[in-house]
Amino acid sequence: MSSQQKLVVAHAPYWHDGSKISTKNYNIMIAALPAVLMGISQYGAPALAVIAFAMAFAMIWEVIWNLILGKPASIGDGSAAVTGMLLGMLMPATAPWWVIALGTFIAIIVGKQIFGGIGFNPLNPPLLALAMLVISFKGVFDFDEALRHYDLGFVMTYPLADLKAFGTGAIGKFSLGDLFMGRQAGAIGSTFGLGLIVGGLYLMLRGHMRWEISLSFLAGVFITALLFNLSDPAKYASPVFHLLTGYTLIAAFFLVPEDSSSPANFIPMLIFGAMAGLGTVLIRNIGAYVDGVPFAILLMNLANPLLDKIRPKAIGKVVENA
Amino acid sequence: MTSKGEQTVAFALAAILLVVGVVCYAAFPQEEPEEPVRLMFKSTAGKILFDHKTHTVDAGYGIACDDCHHEEQEDGSSSCSGEDCHGPESDPKRGDALHSNCKGCHEDSGAGPVECAACHIM
Repeated sequence: MSSQQKLVVAHAPYWHDGSKISTKNYNIMIAALPAVLMGISQYGAPALAVIAFAMAFAMIWEVIWNLILGKPASIGDGSAAVTGMLLGMLMPATAPWWVIALGTFIAIIVGKQIFGGIGFNPLNPPLLALAMLVISFKGVFDFDEALRHYDLGFVMTYPLADLKAFGTGAIGKFSLGDLFMGRQAGAIGSTFGLGLIVGGLYLMLRGHMRWEISLSFLAGVFITALLFNLSDPAKYASPVFHLLTGYTLIAAFFLVPEDSSSPANFIPMLIFGAMAGLGTVLIRNIGAYVDGVPFAILLMNLANPLLDKIRPKAIGKVVENA
Repeated sequence: MTSKGEQTVAFALAAILLVVGVVCYAAFPQEEPEEPVRLMFKSTAGKILFDHKTHTVDAGYGIACDDCHHEEQEDGSSSCSGEDCHGPESDPKRGDALHSNCKGCHEDSGAGPVECAACHIM
């Protein structure tokens, strides 16, 4: 039987296949580049400043932590750079430097290092930082207010804020094509749907990301939004609108499938992704916040250890000896 | 453990990005445009996003400056809520002045929102 093959383990010495954490992390950064470059091309130097500062500060915090603990520097694995880059992508181009310094501190030190560093964080570090910043500095993350000086030639109001404040009547001005191509107001690296999907597909094909979590999250968002939409189309936006706006796509491909805060087995991965998608739309449609992505995913991060109790059936046959 | 080469690359990356970040923040500070694009009015009844550009440009509604700004402000400030203007002790107060200005025009021209929740983000 082929399944028995899985139990055959040769004795030492073993041969390392050459795969490294840094390879994976640099691949994630490459995959995120199209969305980042779109943000920089739209908002210019301020967007570049936010991304560069976020990555630099994330690495600096990690080096400082290494020095305090007397441990060897760990930024070579690229994990801090990825965390910084993702947090930068979630911010508006107008974010002040001290918000970035504080945000990367929360992500790297509070979110990751105090739990033991890479692989031990129970919550997604960039999302933990984002959630704390959104609650603490509402004005910075009010995209309508933050981007009020920009006129980029498309509808410059934040789609989800319009939906929340003025209902579905106010979102007719957004064309789905524009939303998909990044012609919408929002965070630096979160608006270019096509770029995020291409990056996500690259990571899936290279095996750096679990497609199960990603796709179940998108399915969770779609189905929940569809049910709301079917129940009252005049009050709730279409599922495609929810997929293309806010943090949905960056979350699906870069945040929900984060290794250490997501389950490892098939069924738990599907539940995890789908529930995070469900929570996202629930918060958007009937919750207090404009976008539910950070809170929904952090809640599911907390449920992660419980979900991982659902284990696959052990290989082998139990023989009753009675 | 990461190799020495990887550490060097990471430190170099951090240094370059820090310099890029500092230069971009220092050299391109966020400045308000001479004529505002959009304004966010803040009130106790929620924020109001006002599209200044659409109201003023010819391709938009083409409203002249002095239709709304009835007095030329000497210091060039856009604030209407100063003590000698539409402050809390003035008559009309800022809220009343804006309500009559915005809603009045919307009603007269039969265009634009007049309901509270159509402007105020509550």
